[in-house]
This record gives sequence, C-alpha cells and structure tokens, in this order.
Amino acid sequence: MEYKVVMPQLTDTMEEGKIVRWLKKEGEIVKKDEPLVEIESDKAVMEVPSMKEGVLVKILAEEGEELPVGAPIAVIETEVEKAQITAKKVEEKPAEKEEKKEEIKIPQKKPEKKEALPEGTASPSAKKTAAQLGVNIKKLQEEGKLPVPAHEKDIKSYFYSRFFTKSALELLQRYGLSPEEVYQSVKKERIDKKAVEKYIKEKNIPEISAPSDIQRILIKNLSKSTQIPVYHITHPFDVKYLLEKKDYTLTTYLIKVFGDVMYNYPELRTIYKEDSFYTYPTSNISVAIAVDNELFNPTIKNVEDKTLKEIYEKLQEIKEKAKNRNLSVEDIQGATFSISNLGMFGIKQFDAVIPPFHSGIAAVGTAVEGVITITFTFDHRVINGAQAAQFVIDVEKKIQAMRSLK
Amino acid sequence: MLYREALNRALDEMMEKDETVVVLGEDVGFYGGNYRVTEGLYAKYGEKRVIDTPIAENSIVGNAIGMALGGLRPVAEIMTVNFILIAMDQIVNQMAKLRYMSGGKIELPMVVRTPQGVSKQLAAQHSQSLERFFTSVPGLITMVASDATAAYYGLKKAIELDDPVIFLEHELLYPMKMEIKKRENFDPFRADIVKEGKDITVVSYLKMLHDTLKAVPVFEKELNVSVEVINLHSLNPLDMETIANSVKKTKRFVVVTEEPKTGSFAAEVVSKVSEELFYHLDAPPLRICGEDVPTPYNRKLELLSIPTPEKIAQQIVYWGREHGI
Repeated sequence: MEYKVVMPQLTDTMEEGKIVRWLKKEGEIVKKDEPLVEIESDKAVMEVPSMKEGVLVKILAEEGEELPVGAPIAVIETEVEKAQITAKKVEEKPAEKEEKKEEIKIPQKKPEKKEALPEGTASPSAKKTAAQLGVNIKKLQEEGKLPVPAHEKDIKSYFYSRFFTKSALELLQRYGLSPEEVYQSVKKERIDKKAVEKYIKEKNIPEISAPSDIQRILIKNLSKSTQIPVYHITHPFDVKYLLEKKDYTLTTYLIKVFGDVMYNYPELRTIYKEDSFYTYPTSNISVAIAVDNELFNPTIKNVEDKTLKEIYEKLQEIKEKAKNRNLSVEDIQGATFSISNLGMFGIKQFDAVIPPFHSGIAAVGTAVEGVITITFTFDHRVINGAQAAQFVIDVEKKIQAMRSLK
Repeated sequence: MLYREALNRALDEMMEKDETVVVLGEDVGFYGGNYRVTEGLYAKYGEKRVIDTPIAENSIVGNAIGMALGGLRPVAEIMTVNFILIAMDQIVNQMAKLRYMSGGKIELPMVVRTPQGVSKQLAAQHSQSLERFFTSVPGLITMVASDATAAYYGLKKAIELDDPVIFLEHELLYPMKMEIKKRENFDPFRADIVKEGKDITVVSYLKMLHDTLKAVPVFEKELNVSVEVINLHSLNPLDMETIANSVKKTKRFVVVTEEPKTGSFAAEVVSKVSEELFYHLDAPPLRICGEDVPTPYNRKLELLSIPTPEKIAQQIVYWGREHGI
C-alpha cells in the first residue's frame, strides 16, 4: 500500500515545519521507527522516525522547504515488490506545486565533461592584471599555484598573499577580507597576524557568522513574542527560609510554588492561538536553560503532582539533556508558564520575554538579605492585571506556607 | 497606482498641455483601450483627438505618419506587438526613413506604443518579444518602460521628441502596482542603476527586470557577491556609458531578456560589451534569454520557454561558479 508521509505536528503549537535533512534516499528501504527525516519545528530540530516499514518511493518536499503541518512530504510503499512500479508511476506524475510559493532554489548542477584548458589560459582582465603586477600566469599554473583558467582575483590573491604570514592569511579568510585591500592600506612587505588584527580594529570590521538551527528557532520565536501585548509586575519575595533549608535549589522551590498556585489559576494554564483560548489541565512549566550561545526551554509537567525531589531530579535531567542537545519532543512542549533565573549571576532584577504560546514568565533575581525580586511578564490577552496581582500575592503566601512544608 | 495608470496619466497630461497630441488605435476611444491605457481620454478629449481605427495596423501607423507630417503629435497604439508585423512596411520604410529621405527637412514627432512579451497562455502568435526588429532599424528610437516612473516620464519624453519612437510596454506589467518616483530631469537615454554592486553587472528591462530583482538576493547569497542592476529605458540608442562604467568596476556582464536568444537584442548588447570592454572582462558575458522556440501554450512549457526568477538565479550561479566566483 502507498502511505503518504505528512509534515508531523511535533509540538502542539507547531504550525509549519522545515525539512532540514532527508536521512533516507528515494528507493531506500525504511524500517518502522527508523529515523527518516530531520524536521525543524517552532522549538527544535528533531529526527522524525518512519511510521511504516517499506520503500521510500518518492520525496515530495525538498530540503529547506517549509510546509504546513499535514502537508505530504514523502510516499512510502509498504509492499516492497510493488515499490518499483510505484516509483515509476510517481515519477511520471508531475509535481503539483507550480506557482504555489516563489521560493527560489539552486539545485546542484550535473557535472559536464569539459575540455581541459591549457596552462596559460586566463580571462582578459586576469591577463591585464598579471601584466601590471608582473605575474607569470603560465609558469604559476604549471606549478599548480594558479587555477586554469585564472581569473583576476586569483592573480591578485596570489600576488598580494605573498606579503602575509600564514596566520595572517587565515585571519583574512575569517573576516572575508581580500589580501589586496589590506595590503593597500598597510603597505608593508611583511604583514603578520598582529598587523591584520590592527587593521580589523581600526576599520571596525565585524566577523560574520550564521546562527545555528537552535538560534534560528529562538530568533523566529522572539520575533513572534514581540507581537504579544504584555505588562510586567515586579514584587519582592522573602525566601530566607528556603535559602537556609538548602535541600533543593531555589529554582526547584519556585517551580513547585508556581505550579501549585497556577493550578488554581486556569488563566495561567491558558495560551492564546488563532482566535481561541487553549486551557491545559495541568501545571506545566518551562525553564530557560542556556547552553553556550544557545537557549533551550524544556518543560516540567504536572508540577502540582510532583514532589520537590521529583522536580529537582527532572530539572537535573533536562539540564543534562539540553547540554547534550538530545531533548525529545515530549521534553519541550506543553508548557504554559516559564521561569528564567539569573540570580546565580548576582542580577537583582530583570524582565524576560514571554516565549510564544505561554501565558507568562517569571524573571527571578538574586537574593539580597534573603529577599528576591521577581518580575512577571504576562500575556494580557489571557490574563488581566487584577488576576495576575492575585496570582502574585498567592505565590507570596505559598512561599510563606513553605515554612511548614517538609 | 498601476503601471497602466502611469501611462494613462502621461497621455492625459500631454493631451491637456498640447492640443496637437492625438491618440489613435483599435478600441482606444469608446472602449478605453484593450489594456485600459487610454481609459477616460475619449470622454475628456472627444473623438477628434482619441480616434478609434479599423483593424488595420499598417494604416494606423500610416495615418499617424501623415498626421505627424501635417503638424500633429500622434500617439498610435498597436494592441500588441504581435500585430505590428503588418505595419512594418510603414515603420521601416516611412517612419524610420522620412527624415533621412527629405534631407532632414521632415520632422516626424510620433510615437507607436505597443505591449509585448509572454503574458499567460496566449499561445505562440500572441506571446512575442520583438524588440530586435525595431532596434535594428536605423532611424527609429526604441524605448522601453519597465516601471511606472519610466512609463510616465518616458512616454511624455517620447511624445515631446521630434523623432519617431517605438515605445514598448509589457502585458504583465499593466496591472502591477507601482509608484511614480519624482524625477524632474528624467532622461530616457540614460539607464538607471536600480541597485549598486561591485561583482556582477546585470542589465535588463520590462518584465525581466522585475524577475531579475527577485533573483538577485538569491544568487547574491549563493555566490557571496554584490550585483549591480541596470534598468534600460532606451534600447536604441543604448546608454553604453552607464554599462561601461559598471562593467569596468564589476568585470562581469549579464543581460536578461525575454526574447528568444538567437539574433536577440541581448546579443547586440553583449557584442558591444565585448568590443568595447574586452580587456576589462573577467568572465565571458552571459545572455539569459528565452528559448529559441515559439512560445508554448501549456503553462508549464510556457514558463520553461522564458527566464523566470528561479532560472535567472540558477544560470547566474552556474555561470559564476564556472568562471571564477
């Protein structure tokens, strides 16, 4: 049977996904649960396993393509002997996606057999430049120091590179600088790394790099977050007692407190999406975890039913997973409230950006004489100031009540 | 504002200003023009100045020549370039040559406006780009209007000129939304640099200019280059000065046109670039043109027969990689 693989809904807030990489080629056999494709959701890049065993007869969505959830991305023929016939049939059907989205792709060009050009071949402008600089194209090509045919930048790059040390050249490459422009400015017969560093500083040249997959997702989400109408509530909390107890981290205590209190506040368990409110039955809290330059937001679920010990252990587990970058789909979805703690850095007070599809986030500062300042950011569409204020006061009461908690 | 409205405004303002300006063509009057370019002019200026003609292209141009000889400034509309072939005798033998044949005594202040290009599924006989036929005739000025600014100022200048002008438009540009940018000193014989760059010069006009601009960010990123895009307002005379200045800087030249490649106007531009700028070139010039086939009716084949943003990006990337970028 022909089975259509569709863009999976990897998180409950995912609306579209991007094909990052196909892990199987057309014509290959896939087993059930074997990784088939890597997909970028609104939260992470994940390997998606095959739901069926069979032959991947056709890939419908190319790498880099973004498609809505439910859109067909591949065809698997579950009866292997049929697969060959199907493969042909599918190929004959022209793809039905003309003019749907004007995304321009540059496919790999099939290598063509070309007559090899003799040494000495160069573009007119390369020859002119070589004559000006006294570069012998033919000789250098024979020595393998210039490509055939040579272009102007090859000549210039060869000529001007001679003035640079090896490490200086590496630095030029990292900053996308041409040897010529740096030489013209520095005008020395021997340019070392230090001189290039000085040039970079003087000209204030930035190093350009692309964001990682995770950073891309974060950037996309942050842009979505700016569309959320928010307000902030800042309030001090006396946590002397919790700090003295030292059984668990402060974050553990706070997750428990927020989880218990938000269980009584359906607004905090609610997210707004496409003209509808989604109210979830349990207290699910995500925790901002920074690993190097990347930020993860894994979730601790059913906080109201968990003990402090369970929360602490779960927290350690997701931290470890984030560090190893192997958070699962389950780990990163379902939260409606988030917590971000910069207290360990000694920050007294700050406010945080709500991750998309959350009701709010708590930004936790450091303890000053046993008192921490938390700034809450709330999504005004799901909770108004009066209820939020009540929530904050209930949190305070709960922290006080912790004294009697074992 | 729409592209066609910019043309309409130019006609309206010129007719208002100068009562010798008249419009003639098939359905330009009562009906308002097949592409609505002359809409409203019939009501405003009446049937003496907005003249509906029979379906007879040779006599439309012939009449316009007569009017110009007699002191008027006619603007003839040929519904599409595909029908202009019947009028080629008047265009080539009379319109282009009367000034020369009269020893310079006859001035011929006239414009023949006509849209060309591949629209959507109008089939081979109605989907042509014929600029090469006009640009190869000495004595004709061939202008093109790639955007509302060039449509408005360009058409006004064409009407003001005392020499005959073929004024080419594109069928798919008519309904496009654009703004007229204020350009008091618009000179149709100077090309515009619509985007500055330092690694590749790309010249284009009409619909292909828009497709090129869509492709630019893609191949700029893919090749890690910056590209300079030049928009021509006149094909003959051609502003080689702007092109040369750009190519001397970038050393790489591409021209994008919708016409079939063989014998194309693009070939003429490449010839000029090769002749005048050979020692500046760091790569062979590239023509991105339509295929050498009659335009197919089938939409998929039709798109395969002309450059698209995707094909422009791909061809420039492949060419760039092959030639040292």
